[in-house]
Amino acid sequence: MDIVFSGASVSFAGRPALHPLSLRLCERRIGIIGLNGSGKTTFARLINGLLRPTAGQVTVGGLDTVKDEAAVRGRAGFIFQNPQHQMILPVLSEDIAFGLKNRGLSKEEISARTEAVLERFRITHLAGRRIHELSGGETQLAAIASVLVTGPDVLILDEPTNQLDLKNRRLIEKTIADLPEQAIVITHDLPLLDGFDRVLLFHEGRLEADASPSEAVRAYRGIVGC
Amino acid sequence: MLTGLDIAGDTPLHRASARLKLILLFLAAVALFLVENPWALAAAAIIAAGLYASTGIARSEAFRRVRFVLFTVLLVAVANYVFHSLAEALAVLFRLGALVLLAAAVTATTTISAFMDEITRLLRPLERFGFVRAADVSLAVGLVLRFVPEILARYGDIREAHRARGLRVRPLGVLVPLIILTLKDADTIAMAIDARGFRRQ
Repeated sequence: MDIVFSGASVSFAGRPALHPLSLRLCERRIGIIGLNGSGKTTFARLINGLLRPTAGQVTVGGLDTVKDEAAVRGRAGFIFQNPQHQMILPVLSEDIAFGLKNRGLSKEEISARTEAVLERFRITHLAGRRIHELSGGETQLAAIASVLVTGPDVLILDEPTNQLDLKNRRLIEKTIADLPEQAIVITHDLPLLDGFDRVLLFHEGRLEADASPSEAVRAYRGIVGC
Repeated sequence: MLTGLDIAGDTPLHRASARLKLILLFLAAVALFLVENPWALAAAAIIAAGLYASTGIARSEAFRRVRFVLFTVLLVAVANYVFHSLAEALAVLFRLGALVLLAAAVTATTTISAFMDEITRLLRPLERFGFVRAADVSLAVGLVLRFVPEILARYGDIREAHRARGLRVRPLGVLVPLIILTLKDADTIAMAIDARGFRRQ
C-alpha cells in the first residue's frame, strides 16, 4: 500500500519535531532508525493519524490522514512502544475482541475473528489469561494480534523488541518477518533490519538517510560516532 | 499493571448474566431506600456481605476494595447520629453498607467487557434520539473499572518510591505525582483507543 508524505511537517509549540518531508513508502518491510528524540515516532504517528501534520499532507492508500482519519486507522494499525499501554481490557480474548466492537459486527463474527487471530499467532492457549500474567514476548504478540484482528493493510511497530530478552526478541523478529502485511518498524535493534527493503534514518527531526539497511546503519553509526 | 476488578471463578454470581446482576442490583438499591427499619437493613447488610464473600475473593482483598467507601459511609452515619438520631444513623450505615457490598460483589464477578456490552445494549435506544453515543458511555464505564486497580497500584508504587529514598510519605507528596501520572496514562490510553479505531468518528 502506498503511503505518501507531501511536505508534511510537525511542530510542537512552534518547535519543529519533524521538518518538511516528501516521500513515498510502498515497500513490504521498512525500518526507521535514529537517536532518541530524532523524530521517528512523530513520523510513524503521522501515518496512523495519531498526529496531524502541522503543514503538508500524509495519505495512506490514497486516504488523507486528517480528512479520512477513521478509514486510515482501519488500514494502518499501530503497536505502541509499551504494548501494555494499548491493551484496554484485562483479559487477552476480551482485549482482542475490543477492537472489533463498535464496527457493526455480530457477536459470532467477533468471536470467530478473535479465535482466528489467536490461532494465527498460536496463542489460543493464552485466550483466557490476564494481560499482566503474560511474558514480555507474549504481551507483544498479543498486542500485534489485537491490532491485526481488525485487518489493517500496514502495521506500524514502535520499538517492538524493546525490553525483551533474547528468546522473546527472536520470537518477535520471526513474527515480523512472517507477517504478510506491510510493516514499518521503528527500532534500536539494528540486527532486526536484516532483510528489510528500505531503512529511513532520522536525525534532529530530519530525514538523514533513505537507503538499504546496511547503508542506513552505516550512516547511523557515523552520527553516533562508533 | 493491567488487572481489572473482576476475579476469576465459577460461583453462581459468576455464572449469572451481567444483565440479571445489574437489574437485581438496581432493584436491591430501590428496596434498600424504601426500607426504614435499621434491623431489617442490618439483615440486608449481612446478606450482602455473605454474597460478597461467596464470590471467592480473598478476605484481605475483599476488605481492601471496599474499606475507603465503607469509611466514608461510616462518616455519613456519624453525621446522621450527630444531627438526627441513632436509629437514622444505623439505617444509613446498613443501607449504604449493603449497597456497597452488593455492588462490590457484582463488580468482582462481572468482566469489564460484559459490563460494556450491557451498557451499550441498554443505551442503544437513546442513540436514535441523539442523546448519547452508547459505545462511548460503555467505554467510559469500562475505563473507570479498568483504571481503579491501576491507580491503586500506582499509589502503592509512589509510596514505596518515597520510602526507598528515605522520604516521609506525605499525602500531598503522593497525590501530586499520582495525579500527574494518572493524567499521563489517560492520554496514552486515549491514544491507544484512537489507534485501535474504537471510536469510529
